[in-house]
Amino acid sequence: MDQKQRSRLPDVFINFLKFGCFTFGGGWSIVAQIQKEYVEKKRWITDEELLDFTSVGRSIPGLMIGNASVLFGHHVAGIPGALLALLGIVLPPFAIMIAVTFIYGLVKDNAYVSYAMMGVRAAVVPIIISAMVKLFKAGMKDVFCYLIALGGLVLCLFTGISNVLIVVIGAAAGLIYMEVKERHAVS
Amino acid sequence: MLYLELFLSFVMIGFTSFGGMSMIPLINDEMLSHGWMTAQEVADIVAIAEMTPGPLGLNCATFAGMRTGGILGAAAASVGVLLPSLSLCLIAAIFMERFKESKLMGHALYGIRPVCIGMIAAVVIQQSMVNYAGTWLLGISWQALIIGAAALVLLIVLKWSVPKTIVVSAALGLLFGVLFG
Repeated sequence: MDQKQRSRLPDVFINFLKFGCFTFGGGWSIVAQIQKEYVEKKRWITDEELLDFTSVGRSIPGLMIGNASVLFGHHVAGIPGALLALLGIVLPPFAIMIAVTFIYGLVKDNAYVSYAMMGVRAAVVPIIISAMVKLFKAGMKDVFCYLIALGGLVLCLFTGISNVLIVVIGAAAGLIYMEVKERHAVS
Repeated sequence: MLYLELFLSFVMIGFTSFGGMSMIPLINDEMLSHGWMTAQEVADIVAIAEMTPGPLGLNCATFAGMRTGGILGAAAASVGVLLPSLSLCLIAAIFMERFKESKLMGHALYGIRPVCIGMIAAVVIQQSMVNYAGTWLLGISWQALIIGAAALVLLIVLKWSVPKTIVVSAALGLLFGVLFG
């Protein structure tokens, strides 16, 4: 692990602690937060790389948030980076849940809590959309990509096929398409 | 040994699910078969996990561990549910770094990236149905729609950060709730 990677460790840990406090909506808000902090502001990774972490993270068992954090952390700062990113993203919800178990009864049926949560839930879709808009350009290179994206959408919405299989189908389609394209270019 | 049982139980949940709602049936089975929670408590924990930040699987692990074995139980269950990220995903990360420059990897990713965009779009549609509409699209919540539109403008036009947007959305939800109940 070189000097540059080591110097990144505190930054990764502190930012992931911050991300961890605001991961509502099943992991997509962390993608939006990484995008803002590390693609736009610090330029440590590209949109393409973030999209790769997201897709691979989704197709490995376990929590997508944890997986995406490990992939990002390892990319920017090696194995210590992966562990610190995971620890950072996990600590805030862990601490909050421990507190919640004590006030479980109070929180469960509290009207004010449910009003505020209505607001937070309403923000989840815009957060996902804001991440998707930015990743869109990174993933969509030609007509083939649009067809594949549409296929992914349809499979995901209307069939019970697992995410892993959908990612594998996408990978196979990419391999076949690029192979055909290259042969075509040669001949 | 309770801690070991909690740990193993959540290792199994972690390795056989892919996050989010797909974990609920597994968590339900494990909690009931060990007698750690009642069905009603599992339903409550899902609702509470949605209210607090963090992935559903981790929140369930923390809550179940806490209720059965205190803070140590919560830690054992959480490490268990994170084990796939710590093992499989770390291997995948190393693998990805090593084959980053390979042509085949590039070709596979050429298909994986758009398919992932399609999957995100599917999540947008599914989440919209849950967050803005009642059962079977009846009773669309205009309050949620207004907050959603405001959040979209804050994020995309005004380029606000996610935390700031979430805090403002929660405040708006509270305001609407108090005003219109």
